Amino acid sequence: MGTMRCGGRVLAVVAALAVVTTACGGGSGSGDGTTLSMWTFKQTHVKALEAAAAVFKAQTGITVNITAYTPDDTYTSKVQSAAASHNVADVLEVHAGGEDRVLGGAGIISDLAPDVNDQYKSRFLKGTADTGLITEQVYQDSLKPKATDPGVQKGQLYSVPFTAGTFGIVYANKDMLTAAGVDASKPPSSWQELISWLKATHDRNPRAGGVTMGLKSSSTGLDWALEPMAFAQLGRRDYEALFGTDKAKSWGSPNGQKVLEQYDQLTPYWTAGTQTLAIDEADRAFAQGKSAFDVGGTFTISAIQQNGLNPDKILSFPIPAPEGSVTSDFKLAPIALTGLSLSAQTPNRDAALKWVDFLTRQQQAGAFAQAALDLPGTDLGADASKLVGPYLSTMEAAFGSGDSAYNPGDSTFMGPTWDIEAAGDILVKMSPLKELDPAGTNAQLAVYNNSVNSGK
Amino acid sequence: MAARVRSRQALTGYVFVLPAVALFAVMGVYTVGYGLALSFARWNGFTPYWTWVGVGNYLDLIYRDPTIAPIVQGAAVRTVVVMIAQPVLTVLISFPLAVALNRITLLRAAFRTVFFLPQVTAGIALYYAWSYALQPDGSLNFILRHLGLGTIAQPQGWLGNPATALPTLIVVAVFGAVPVAMLLYLTGLQSIDQSVIDAARVDGAGGLRTMTSVVWPLLLPITGAVVVLNLRDALQGFSQTLLMTNGGPGGHTLVLGLESYNLAFFSGLKPTLGLSSALGWILFVIALLLAAVNLRALRSRA
Repeated sequence: MGTMRCGGRVLAVVAALAVVTTACGGGSGSGDGTTLSMWTFKQTHVKALEAAAAVFKAQTGITVNITAYTPDDTYTSKVQSAAASHNVADVLEVHAGGEDRVLGGAGIISDLAPDVNDQYKSRFLKGTADTGLITEQVYQDSLKPKATDPGVQKGQLYSVPFTAGTFGIVYANKDMLTAAGVDASKPPSSWQELISWLKATHDRNPRAGGVTMGLKSSSTGLDWALEPMAFAQLGRRDYEALFGTDKAKSWGSPNGQKVLEQYDQLTPYWTAGTQTLAIDEADRAFAQGKSAFDVGGTFTISAIQQNGLNPDKILSFPIPAPEGSVTSDFKLAPIALTGLSLSAQTPNRDAALKWVDFLTRQQQAGAFAQAALDLPGTDLGADASKLVGPYLSTMEAAFGSGDSAYNPGDSTFMGPTWDIEAAGDILVKMSPLKELDPAGTNAQLAVYNNSVNSGK
Repeated sequence: MAARVRSRQALTGYVFVLPAVALFAVMGVYTVGYGLALSFARWNGFTPYWTWVGVGNYLDLIYRDPTIAPIVQGAAVRTVVVMIAQPVLTVLISFPLAVALNRITLLRAAFRTVFFLPQVTAGIALYYAWSYALQPDGSLNFILRHLGLGTIAQPQGWLGNPATALPTLIVVAVFGAVPVAMLLYLTGLQSIDQSVIDAARVDGAGGLRTMTSVVWPLLLPITGAVVVLNLRDALQGFSQTLLMTNGGPGGHTLVLGLESYNLAFFSGLKPTLGLSSALGWILFVIALLLAAVNLRALRSRA
């Protein structure tokens, strides 16, 4: 198998034509460090970033122009073509722990390791600072034939955390809980209690008393509910073994059966048609009172609020651990969801570094969180409640670290081509579709896991 | 002298054609060639290098990669179902509709406009409207329940039940395809020489016999065009599936066009652009073969 340097040429032609025809489209700033450009794929971040840019200009005299390209695939295409025509923005907001490595390996964004020391890193939430770091494991994985991030080198740092959060947060409608005779003042103490709550709200209101999730993206069931529950139930070692090659402990084993039977307890309580709802649609359905529970991440709160449900009416809590779980004191590890990266082509590197430093300082991060309703990667410390309000700070309280904390960003123990949508489709066939029972689901996941690991 | 004039005229013609040829050479031939080359490579869209894998992408898609081939095979089966159902239903609905419209004189233009409306409505808006109508508490279930047909209503929604999701998508696709087909048939019907119909009647042919033995054979080339258009749409189209089900529930509506799109843009930045391109070329070759077979079969019978 040979290699050929030609992908960029065509993109360069296309990008050049696009630039000629539009005579705009962003690109790097002034070149003298007085004007910067920044691209983001999150429309909800634009106003908050523009507000930050106004403060930054007052402090430094540097202008920052913010542009959003949505949805994600449009953003990806934009960065691809701009990189080929050397017209990438000075600063990019990227998906942390994935896209940053791909862009870094391709030489599109630059290594921040020389500029971000341990003291700098200490400002971020525990466990998130090194999301963009190329560790030995990441480097070794990058050498595999079908790796997503070829070209990275050990020790490089391609992003610093910008927003953080985690998956596996349950939102419940307090009014519906109360109407069903459930004490809505504190979260359920176990998975079993959560199921009993679901039964109560569903019995009370069969049409709208169930649980919803954006299962149109079938990965959500696996990623947001089953995996954290399985981590708590089995403990870290046996949870990770589910995705390994030891057939006594991987999918198809009694451990797989156990977690699937637990998850299958949700099946009677899904809101009708939840398998056809996209993530935003599920959040909207919950906010509109069409469902008593909604499963998502820390980021879901902003969608629910934007859809008009008063946060006072919501009880939120992490997916609870089943009774008899191996993991004691189960927590959710925060991960950097998005990061800030610098273009490798920027002529304004010093100014861009100043902007990144400014955005990730505690006070500015708090202001951003308030404006964008998104949790920053910067640790807001004791001032969290004051800076971001009670709901986002409650989320921070659910975070933990160490062996008892489930980290959704860690996929190093999974097969190299594990596709969460393909696996999610199998899970959806069990719950809510009832086409498979837990044993059949376990068998199909075993076949899929074995095929994924056969490439190791 | 005449030769010189002809040469000058030819030159003028070439000059006028040149910009279009140049544009096609850059935006058409070059990008098509680029796509073909990409189908023999592994690339994530970012790295400056492609890794050549020969026909590996094609083999992975068809049988070799145990994580991708089963998904592609399942999608192929569903695509074949759509390829059969969509053209057949479109013809079965649009031909009688065109015949009926051709016979009436009162309000013909109004009916033609009404039947053509789905075509002028933007696809995305149409798909969203259908999605809402097909939800568990959507208008379709509402109507069925109020007509006393509640047993037919789908409690999980028409797109949420694996048994009804793909047939429902086919019906929506047919709904969008009928207007153009109907218009083509209507044009064909209006171009049939009345003397041919009269001759059939003089020979004693009734209405049904005239329709099946005279009108239908004369319109076979149009049927060929309708079938080809719908085959192409069924084989390569994916926007409807993407917006209405995203291949769900549980992958039950994943078709090859959508899988190609997923491999290109939703593979978690894995180096699968070559796989996507290879799948696109497989679809292109199948579409080409089917079109050739279809047109030859219908033309010879006509």
